[in-house]
Amino acid sequence: MVSDALAEALDLTTFWEYREVLLRGLAFNVYTFLAAATVSIAIGLAAALLRVNRLRPLRWAGTVHVELFRNAPDYIMVVWVHFVLPLLLGKLLGSRIEFDPFVSAVIALGFVYSGYFAETFRTGIQAIPLGHLEAARACGMSERQILWRITLPQVVRRMLPEAVNIFVSQFKATTIISLIAVPDLMYRVGMVLQQEMKPLPLYTGAALTYFIVVYLFAGTVRALSERWRNRIYA
Amino acid sequence: MHVESGVDAVPAIRVVDLHKRFGTLDVLRGVSFDVRRGDVVSMIGASGSGKSTLLRCINRLETPSSGEVYIDGEPMGHRGQGDAKARSLAEINMMRRDLGMVFQQFNLWPHMTVLGNVIEAPIRVRGMSRREATALGEECLARVHLEEKSKEYPARLSGGQQQRVAIARALAMRPKAMLFDEPTSSLDPELTDEVLVVMRELAADGTTMIVVTHEMGFAREASDRVLFLHNGLIEEEGPPSQVFGAPKSERCRQFLSKHVQ
Ligand SMILES: Nc1ncnc2c1ncn2[C@@H]1O[C@H](COP(=O)(O)OP(=O)(O)O)[C@@H](O)[C@H]1O
Ligand SMILES: [Mg+2]
Repeated sequence: MVSDALAEALDLTTFWEYREVLLRGLAFNVYTFLAAATVSIAIGLAAALLRVNRLRPLRWAGTVHVELFRNAPDYIMVVWVHFVLPLLLGKLLGSRIEFDPFVSAVIALGFVYSGYFAETFRTGIQAIPLGHLEAARACGMSERQILWRITLPQVVRRMLPEAVNIFVSQFKATTIISLIAVPDLMYRVGMVLQQEMKPLPLYTGAALTYFIVVYLFAGTVRALSERWRNRIYA
Repeated sequence: MHVESGVDAVPAIRVVDLHKRFGTLDVLRGVSFDVRRGDVVSMIGASGSGKSTLLRCINRLETPSSGEVYIDGEPMGHRGQGDAKARSLAEINMMRRDLGMVFQQFNLWPHMTVLGNVIEAPIRVRGMSRREATALGEECLARVHLEEKSKEYPARLSGGQQQRVAIARALAMRPKAMLFDEPTSSLDPELTDEVLVVMRELAADGTTMIVVTHEMGFAREASDRVLFLHNGLIEEEGPPSQVFGAPKSERCRQFLSKHVQ
C-alpha cells in the first residue's frame, strides 16, 4: 500500500503530460513575483527613509507601515485586497470597483513584503559609517547625491543576502494567489486534478518545480553577486 | 570696507569670533585667526580642546553657534556682510567645494575604486565629463604617488595608501584650501611617513592648509604658523620657532614638554 502510494507520488508522467499548461501557470507566479518585488523594494525603501528621518512623525509613520505589513498574513492580505479593498474604495468614490486578480496579488504581496524590505534597508542604511557621508558632504555633494551614490550602493551590497531570503519567501507566497483565481501553477494543478484525479504526482510535480526555481534563483544570485558584494570588505 | 593693496590682502580663510556650543558645553569660545593664501597653519592642543570642532565649523559640517568664516572674503554662513540672510544648504554645498577635507579615518567610499573615489565629486559636483575627471583624477593620484593603484578597491590598500587616496580625492576638487584632521593619528607608526611626505610636498607647492596634528615634527618644520588650542580658545599663536622655541603660555609649554621628545 505504502509503496504503491510512493510509486504513484513519484511517477511524474501525468505532470509531464500537462507540462505546457502547467508551466504557463508558473509564468504567472514569476510575473506576480517580479511585479510584487518591485513594489516591495520601492515602498520598502520609502518606508526605510521615513524610519531614519529626523522628524519624529515621519519616523512614526515608517514604523507603523513596517509593523502593519510585517505582521499581516499573506493569505489574508491577498483576500482582503481583492475582496474588501475594492468595496471600500467603491464606497469612497461612489462607484463600482473591481480589481483584476493579478493586480490584487501584486498589491497584497508587494505591500506585505515591503515591511521586510523596509527593515532590511533601514539596518543597511544605519550601518553606513557617518564618516562616509561627511566625506561626501565635505566635497559639496547634496544629500540626494549622497543617498544614491554613497549610501544605497553600499546598502544594496550589504543587504543582498538578506534580500534573497525575502525574495524566496515572496516567491513562495505567490503559491496562494490561486485563491483569487490568478491562473498560476497551483490554480492549474487544481484544474488538471478535476480531469485526472491524480493528486499525488501533480502536487509532487508542483512542489519540485517550485523548489527548482527557488533553488536556482537564490543560488545564481548569491554566486553571481559574491565578488561584487565582498569588494567593500577588507 | 577698507581697501588694501595686492591680492593677498584677502586671506584664504578668515575665522572671526567663532563660538560653538553643544547643549551646555562651550566647545569653542571665540576663536579668530587668518590663513593667508599659500600658508600652512598647524593646530595643536590636547584631546578635547576643540580642534576637530573648529575644522568642522570652517566647512560647516557643524553649524557655528555664532561667528563667521570667510573663504576668500566670502562669508560661509551668510549671503553678505552684516546681518544678511543665512545661506541655504545648497549654497553651503557650493562653498564646500572650495575646501578639501581629510579625516582621521580616511572615509573612502568602499564600493568605488580608488579612481572612482577621486573623480566622484568632480563629476557630480563640478559637472565634469568622465574623461576630463579621469585625467584630473590620475594627475591627483600621481601627486600622492598612487597612480598605479587607480583600479584597486580601498579595502585592498594599506592605511597609509588609503589616506593618500583621501588626499587625492580632496585635491581633485581643486580646493582653495585643505583641512586635515589628524590625518596620521589612526595609522601605524611605519605608515605615517608616507602621508607626511605627501603633505610636506603639498605645503612646498604652496597649498593653503590647516593641519590638526600631533606630529610635532611636521608642525615645526612644515608650517608657517602654529596655533595652540586650549579649552576652545587660541592660547598661543605664532611662527613655529616662537611657539616651539619660546612659548609665552605656561599651558603650551606643558603641552609641548609632553609631546616633543
Ligand atoms: N557632536 C557633538 N556633540 C556633543 N559634544 C561634542 C560633539 N562633538 C564634539 N563634542 C565635544 O566637544 C569637545 C571638543 O571636541 P573635539 O573638537 O573633537 O576636540 P579635539 O578634536 O580637540 O580632540 C569634546 O568635549 C567633545 O566631547
Ligand atoms: Mg579631534
